Amino acid sequence: MKKQLIELRVNGESHELAIEPQRTLLEVLREDLGLTGAKEACGTGECGACTVLIDGKPILSCLTLAIEAQGKEITTIEGLVKGGELHPLQKAFIRYGAIQCGYCTSGMILNAKSILDENPKPSREEILKGLEGNLCRCTGYNKILDAIMAVSIGEE
Amino acid sequence: MEELSFVGKSVPRKDGVEKATGKALYTVDMVLPGMLWGKILRSPYPHAKILNIDTSRAERLPGVKAVITGKDTLGIKHGFVETPRYPPDQYPLAMDRVRYIGEEVAAVAAIDEYIAEEALSLIKVDYEELPAVFDPEEAMRPDAPEIHPSHPKVKEPYKNIGGKTETGWGDIEKGFADSYLVREDRFEGQLRTHCYMEPQATFASYDLSGKLNVWTSSQGPFIKRAKLATTLGLPFNNVRVLKAYVGGAYGGKIDLFSHEFCASLLSMKTGRPVKIVWTRQEVFEASRHGQPIIVELKTGVKKDGTLLAQKVRVINNAGAYRGSGVVVIFLCWGFVMLSYRIPNLKYEGYSVYTNNPVRAPQRGHGAPNLRFAVDSQMDMIAEELGIDPVEIRLKNARQKGEILPNGDYVRNCGLVECIERVAEETQFKDKYAKGKLQEGQRIRRGIGMGVSSYFSGSLIYPNASAAIVKLNDDGTVSLLTGALDIGQGAETILSQIVAEELGVAMEDIRVVAADTETTPVDIGSWISGGAYVSGNAVKLAASDARRQLFEVAAKELEANPEDLVAKNREIFVKGSPGRSISFSQAVAASIAKRRGNPIIGQGHYRTMKDVPMHPSLATTKGRWSDNYAFDAQVAEVEVDTWTGQVKLLKATTAHDCGFPINPILVEGQIDGQVSMAQGHALWEEVLMEKGKTLTTSFLDYKIPCAKDMVESHYIDVITEKYEKDIPYRTKEVGEGYVSGMVAAIANAVYNATGVRVKTLPIYPEKILMGLKEKKKK
Repeated sequence: MKKQLIELRVNGESHELAIEPQRTLLEVLREDLGLTGAKEACGTGECGACTVLIDGKPILSCLTLAIEAQGKEITTIEGLVKGGELHPLQKAFIRYGAIQCGYCTSGMILNAKSILDENPKPSREEILKGLEGNLCRCTGYNKILDAIMAVSIGEE
Repeated sequence: MEELSFVGKSVPRKDGVEKATGKALYTVDMVLPGMLWGKILRSPYPHAKILNIDTSRAERLPGVKAVITGKDTLGIKHGFVETPRYPPDQYPLAMDRVRYIGEEVAAVAAIDEYIAEEALSLIKVDYEELPAVFDPEEAMRPDAPEIHPSHPKVKEPYKNIGGKTETGWGDIEKGFADSYLVREDRFEGQLRTHCYMEPQATFASYDLSGKLNVWTSSQGPFIKRAKLATTLGLPFNNVRVLKAYVGGAYGGKIDLFSHEFCASLLSMKTGRPVKIVWTRQEVFEASRHGQPIIVELKTGVKKDGTLLAQKVRVINNAGAYRGSGVVVIFLCWGFVMLSYRIPNLKYEGYSVYTNNPVRAPQRGHGAPNLRFAVDSQMDMIAEELGIDPVEIRLKNARQKGEILPNGDYVRNCGLVECIERVAEETQFKDKYAKGKLQEGQRIRRGIGMGVSSYFSGSLIYPNASAAIVKLNDDGTVSLLTGALDIGQGAETILSQIVAEELGVAMEDIRVVAADTETTPVDIGSWISGGAYVSGNAVKLAASDARRQLFEVAAKELEANPEDLVAKNREIFVKGSPGRSISFSQAVAASIAKRRGNPIIGQGHYRTMKDVPMHPSLATTKGRWSDNYAFDAQVAEVEVDTWTGQVKLLKATTAHDCGFPINPILVEGQIDGQVSMAQGHALWEEVLMEKGKTLTTSFLDYKIPCAKDMVESHYIDVITEKYEKDIPYRTKEVGEGYVSGMVAAIANAVYNATGVRVKTLPIYPEKILMGLKEKKKK
């Protein structure tokens, strides 16, 4: 298919890219921009490992075409570190044992960020409901919940 | 006793920052210039002869760089087990026959994934279909189609027997004759799958000097190297398997897989790096799932519940090749033998070839299903005898100091304490009594218990772990270990051990891991021996480095090495804090005065030091493990008797893992296993019809999601300790602990509803049908 010239704004930087229009945002982030933090685990929108934020909202980048993401602010896990400092959620995930194999972690942290951005003091149930689309096979979600709760009450 | 500074503490994981920031590189992330994408063509038939393969059209497709079939290989077979009794039975690419839907027939390398995919559709394979068989008991019948006509099998009156384990002791008939009560039941496990989030993936890069570099999503590089080198006909030193982070494995990524072989061979053919990543659909349809076992259980007890005799028959649907099927029938014997004392036992296990995909270990490797059978029946017996489920378990539980029937010594065992404490903490007896009094209520609560035991490291290739601890000029430390961190935290706990032995901070240790060329051998993250075997190797390496440091420091400080202590990269004379030198100074002194010795500590360890080989898979004779872990778990459930829906509300695990090196990591292992048991008991099932997989996505195959999170409680029963300079005996926590929970859930469902489900999973309709049956009565 004929390539199209597009501009993507990712983690505050603009990138001009020539891509085939059928390519997903996940493919372009990973293969063209080298941002491999977002992962593919199912490719069909069932697991949440590919979650990134578009204008602050979590989306499944495996089901989103790169051309659809033009003119929007895309945030990936790589964009959460500011001035060498980890985001409080990243710190809490490490401290509370919320990471094991780590494959779901990027999507999980970004989704958690959007949950807290929308509602800084969510209940346990609201957090678990919000994370329903992010599968994790290692942790049973217990420590993930601990980490997010800790951030919501101001601990890291 | 000296207080520990690092071991026993919940220090954050070493790889936490890399993983939390998205920088950790997994096999799927690997890229090299000139990289090609590989794809695999799979058999559409469960059983067929391959008459001809025409790859010419695929080869002519622009962008295709290589196509391989069985003819391009050396035709060397491989297997999870490779022994004289069980020689390898699987070609890395099918030669003249396919035996399951999804078996690898050809592979393509092309400049992108789309072209590779298109090329697959241009390969023409002529098949002649053969009769197939899918059910293990049908496959055992004399008129069943023969799946491996020319391959050596175990001689049995049954057909398609890939392996058999037979053992026993005492006088089984007398045991039953002396019994007050004898029960016979049959329990069936379902086909489950691992659902590692990172699909199977391999990245291979061959250069014309003859060197093959491989990154692969696995559970340890050394077994991969051995099997790749053997099947490719390369010397071991020309195959380098390197570390990549692993996105989950749970038993599903251990021995050689065809795509690892194909990526390697395609790279050898093209001289370019080749990456193969399975789609999730491929993983569901063609990868190795767990072992669905049938357990026939006849048990005799005294009036007071003491076990007198047990006859166990296990049938495993092994799939088209042996895989780990012959191991699981061995292990199931062990999972019967460990937890309860059985004076008279007869055990037979059959692993049966069928035209289904090959099977792999899955966390617990048979234990969850086996314990589901034994502990469900234990509750049934207790009820018939009018004994409490806690008391009957206490009466039969293994105790410290016992010699097992295979000769293994149970040096330490906290099972009795586990049962007592978990019962006390959950107020088991009260709740259990209440559970039975809810007749007529829609929503009912139930409580149930299961116990389990597991070995901690056994002998299987590569049998041992070694480690190197190097001092750097500034006094920081590098640990070289072959261990692969698959999420369980191997690099973290091994670093804690180095920190403890040497008195350096966690951040002073850099780990170089899981690289067959630069790191010493390691048994792998799949035989439940990481903390015990690799941990002790690292401990010995670190204490060797400390000994050398102290030798140098003693001279410099004019003190005895025995009087020295190390802390924060400084060596002090005990009692005189003023007299000290830094690690950095000690290293410099060693180089200056000991002919350049930069201080390198070495250590190696093996389980069962003096035992020549692994136990017999056929007869169970021979030692199995140095260390056994024990646990008792309690499940509390809520059942909606109108819908049959079961909710696992709370899981409590009392566990004897020796001692936890890192409590938060141990908790993480328990939580993950409780979650996996929840799925195992209640929902998960790979559905197949005539060898074809029907559940091909996470929508069809439900694993627990966040909303299903179970409240998880832990009770540590500490039976071992860590002391400097002495090898320790901590136990496994990676897989045994899942294994009491499935039974606990089934028993809790019974407590709530009076419905006994003997086939997993406990689907709502099974409960509703059970309730209906009960009403009829």
